[in-house]
Amino acid sequence: MATYVDAGKAMDFRSLSDVPMKAPAVTKNVSYDRILKARDAEPQNWLTYYGGYDGQRYSPLDQINAGNVKDLKVAWVFQAGSYGMHSGASTYAFEAAPIVVDGVMFVSGHDNWLWAIDAKTGEELWRYKHAAPYDVSLCCGNVNRGVAVAQGLVFMTTLNAHVVALDAATGKVVWDQVYGDVRAGESATVAPLVIKDMVLVGSSGGEFGVRGHADAFKLETGERVWRCYMIPKPGEPGSETWPADGEAWQRGGGNCWTTPTFDPDLNLVYFNTGNPCPDFDGAVREGDNLYTDCVVAVDPDSGEIKHHYQYTPHDLWDYDSTMENILFDLDGQKLSAHFDKNGYLFILDRTDCSLVRVVPFVDRITWGEIDASGKVTAKVYPDKEGDPVHFWPGPAGAKEWTHAAYSPKTELLYAPVQDIGATATRRRREFKESIPYWGAGVAVDAEDIAGSISAFDPRTGQETWRWRHAQPMCASVLATGGDLVFAGEPAGKFNALNATSGELLWQFQCGSGHHSSPSTYTVDGRQYVAVPTGWGGWVEGFLPAQIGGRAGNALFAFALPE
Amino acid sequence: MSGTTEESAALAGLRRQNGTTVGRVLGNGNIAEAEVDSDGRMHATIRINPDELCWDPGVLIMPHGGEIELTLINDDLNTHCAVLPSNGDSKFIWLVNHSKGTAVLDLDGPGYYWYGSKTGNDEGRGLTGAIVVSGDTPAEAKLDRPAQPQP
Repeated sequence: MATYVDAGKAMDFRSLSDVPMKAPAVTKNVSYDRILKARDAEPQNWLTYYGGYDGQRYSPLDQINAGNVKDLKVAWVFQAGSYGMHSGASTYAFEAAPIVVDGVMFVSGHDNWLWAIDAKTGEELWRYKHAAPYDVSLCCGNVNRGVAVAQGLVFMTTLNAHVVALDAATGKVVWDQVYGDVRAGESATVAPLVIKDMVLVGSSGGEFGVRGHADAFKLETGERVWRCYMIPKPGEPGSETWPADGEAWQRGGGNCWTTPTFDPDLNLVYFNTGNPCPDFDGAVREGDNLYTDCVVAVDPDSGEIKHHYQYTPHDLWDYDSTMENILFDLDGQKLSAHFDKNGYLFILDRTDCSLVRVVPFVDRITWGEIDASGKVTAKVYPDKEGDPVHFWPGPAGAKEWTHAAYSPKTELLYAPVQDIGATATRRRREFKESIPYWGAGVAVDAEDIAGSISAFDPRTGQETWRWRHAQPMCASVLATGGDLVFAGEPAGKFNALNATSGELLWQFQCGSGHHSSPSTYTVDGRQYVAVPTGWGGWVEGFLPAQIGGRAGNALFAFALPE
Repeated sequence: MSGTTEESAALAGLRRQNGTTVGRVLGNGNIAEAEVDSDGRMHATIRINPDELCWDPGVLIMPHGGEIELTLINDDLNTHCAVLPSNGDSKFIWLVNHSKGTAVLDLDGPGYYWYGSKTGNDEGRGLTGAIVVSGDTPAEAKLDRPAQPQP
């Protein structure tokens, strides 16, 4: 037999492409101080997940405005694509918020992809692909919500619960830390947040009976600084809200799977926590179940919990509170605003997380009631084994994790609203590690549904305007100084609304649904609006009527004609 | 149950080309464990046998995460390739008829990964293999709680 032909050594797949694997070292000087001032000092960039630590998702850029947005055109499209077999083969989605630094965009995709892209032309500069195990537990799809940048590095969490730091100029790994246990059902989808000399991340796995936590690592080395559990152990503050003689706390949930907000003056990070476990069977976890469904204000230096407010005590409806707490000052008050899955808008005094105001923001709420003092009265919930109960909002909530915005210019809050119910039937089951632990069968409504982009006055909680849609609105909104609110639809249209009236001013069909967070920036004086599109994720949970919607995996950048 | 002989033929036909199905149903290959040298380095050999259109072994088990060197041998009479998972980027190698090459992969564990040949529908005909990484999560990343009931 002839000697084998020498096939050589396997090479990086990307080396057989036009990707140069080199980007300008734009993040080298991105410091904590720059991120602190991000929105006001350098509005041309989108330096951090929400555009600023306050979570406002507002940009003062106004080149694209209510008067000219009708002329907005596609500047470029980045096609992410896919190859081979990957986890969540039918649930992948493009959910990230693009970060932009001095003309370079950093954005993550499904299956542990991270790209550096020329923000002016859409050319791919480098790519990183962390191998993703096929069997990782994913409650809600093969997704990632974005990255953080600082000091020459880009940070991303991976589906198998690592946090990796890459050289922002080359995409090469600098450090890699594991911070979750995939054998316990943990994973990671959160966009990291850089605070001071640390990068903060949180856990996913709330449907698998884990003990939720947030973690902080040193930026430069990946050395762990602290871990903060969101479910107290027996004897710790809050443990009295769990059964004293039980094991419920060990698998209590309370995951932090969306990015927190941060007040540097108060030195508090506002983490948002997920549902208790099992989601719908409360009899095995009597009590309020702290710190599930909470905002938890944490000292970023120590990881110590300072304050909290629980939006849904003893949750029986899967009402995670992981969506953002928007920080803003109004009439001399330091406030936060939070649109909860349970259908209520909460305005808190963020100095101590005390309630200022609570009002409903969706038409149909039947699970219970929260009065003006914050008192919660549960009315309809899965209680009797095998007995189906229907309630609004369903487990996807009146607003999902996708983010609201606040415009300091209009002093209005803008929220994507989902008016959709569900039927849950309690089905008790034993807990087994890594197996879904819901305690019910659940079917979300496919009919009699609605949605909107709704604007609210935080001074009163009253709705100022509503742009109605036939389906729930499931993507983050973006408010700009051009008096615009951008909002994507589940079936692919990307809309610009008048920020003061809600009038639809512009629309573009992107071909696949929106479940991401658009951002805006300028390069060489030209403003762009960038939005990842690619319908997927936990569609059976938040919009089953669109579960057959077109999949996709593209990022669109829009600009006015040159 | 009846027709045991027919069932066996049907089952056997899942494990070859143009049998019960046109291709070979995935996950029907041989299973083998990676070898570990005295210095801890992991390695294994994976072949493509003539006209089988599958990787042999079809399932390779690593004892833990880390770097592994694969020797890839194409004994088939057609050209294939391999796109293999690895942290940083997938690894690609052409495997023309009667060729031999290597691939160094860096994989986390625990978990398993599929890989395939990006040629025609090699992946569907059977050239989709699995690399299983055994082991556990590092202690520092585990949850602080007592041992839990297992499935």
